[in-house]
Amino acid sequence: MRVCVFALAALWLSRAAAPGVDLSKALGTPSAPITVEVFSDFECPACKAFHENVLPELMRDYVIPGKVFLASFEFPLPMHQHSRQAANYAVAAARVGAYSPVADALFRGQESWSASGNVWGAVAAALTPAQQKRVQALATDAGVLAQVQSEIGVGQRVPITETPTILVIRGSRAIPIAGRLIRYELLKQLLDDLAKR
Amino acid sequence: MTSPNGNILRAGALLLRVLLGGIFIYAAWTKLHTPWEVFAISIDSYQILPLRAVELVARSLPWFELLVGILLLAGLWLRSAAVATSLLLGVFFGLMVRAFATGQQINCGCFGPGELISWKTLLRDGSLLAGSLALTWMAFVRRRRAA
Repeated sequence: MRVCVFALAALWLSRAAAPGVDLSKALGTPSAPITVEVFSDFECPACKAFHENVLPELMRDYVIPGKVFLASFEFPLPMHQHSRQAANYAVAAARVGAYSPVADALFRGQESWSASGNVWGAVAAALTPAQQKRVQALATDAGVLAQVQSEIGVGQRVPITETPTILVIRGSRAIPIAGRLIRYELLKQLLDDLAKR
Repeated sequence: MTSPNGNILRAGALLLRVLLGGIFIYAAWTKLHTPWEVFAISIDSYQILPLRAVELVARSLPWFELLVGILLLAGLWLRSAAVATSLLLGVFFGLMVRAFATGQQINCGCFGPGELISWKTLLRDGSLLAGSLALTWMAFVRRRRAA
């Protein structure tokens, strides 16, 4: 919920998409000195921990003040049965301007839908009836499926070996960091140091 | 005149020195060319040190690895360098085995980010530790023979 509030507060700041970034899934100012790309899987417990514990602080301290541009990339792992479907719904939700509430809902209800397979139940709860109809139709749209595949391709070229992986980009330099068990103090220190350079 | 055994020992020690020295220098370089926080995040994922100690280790260990690597390659203070290498590799290997045995899916942090601990990394580091112990043994044997 906290992420959702921060997301809505920050979304208006977005102006233009950086190359390869879906603006409807990005938060903050694209001209920010640092870009943070997060590659995650909705069915991965470490991604849930990152989303719920680290992301709100990152939003508060860096994204909303315009210091960091935050972009989300889907990277559903083959070992997770429903994560590809969840990614399709999330990208579809982004197309109706509801990525953040759907991402929040998917991570919040991860344990439940990953066991039951009822991904749609978690997604629908975060949408209005009108949005539900559009998202359900878009989730099987060729464009949405192609975008998810394209984002996986971006991750494979990094290369991403685990989720969540955070790519911290400053100028022409991209630093991949394992987001699993990451302590916010260290990420904050890194961003502060990079901002000074 | 040198015995065939002495020549084999010397050649083996040279091979191990070059191999381990090169690997230590490369490992140091992968850490030193990225901000120290990246290595600190890898160390912290093992969840054994407090934040202050994580920072101290992340800032100093790559320089120590570089020093040990240079000493091994140059053949200077060989006994000390070989002991330091074995101790370092012993600690690294022990931590990796512990993480793997407890099911922690974390980065080993050996050569920068992006390498999960697996059977492959354990086999590699175990082999390096065996090589390092062999080098330490050779360094002490050679000195005893010389004396």
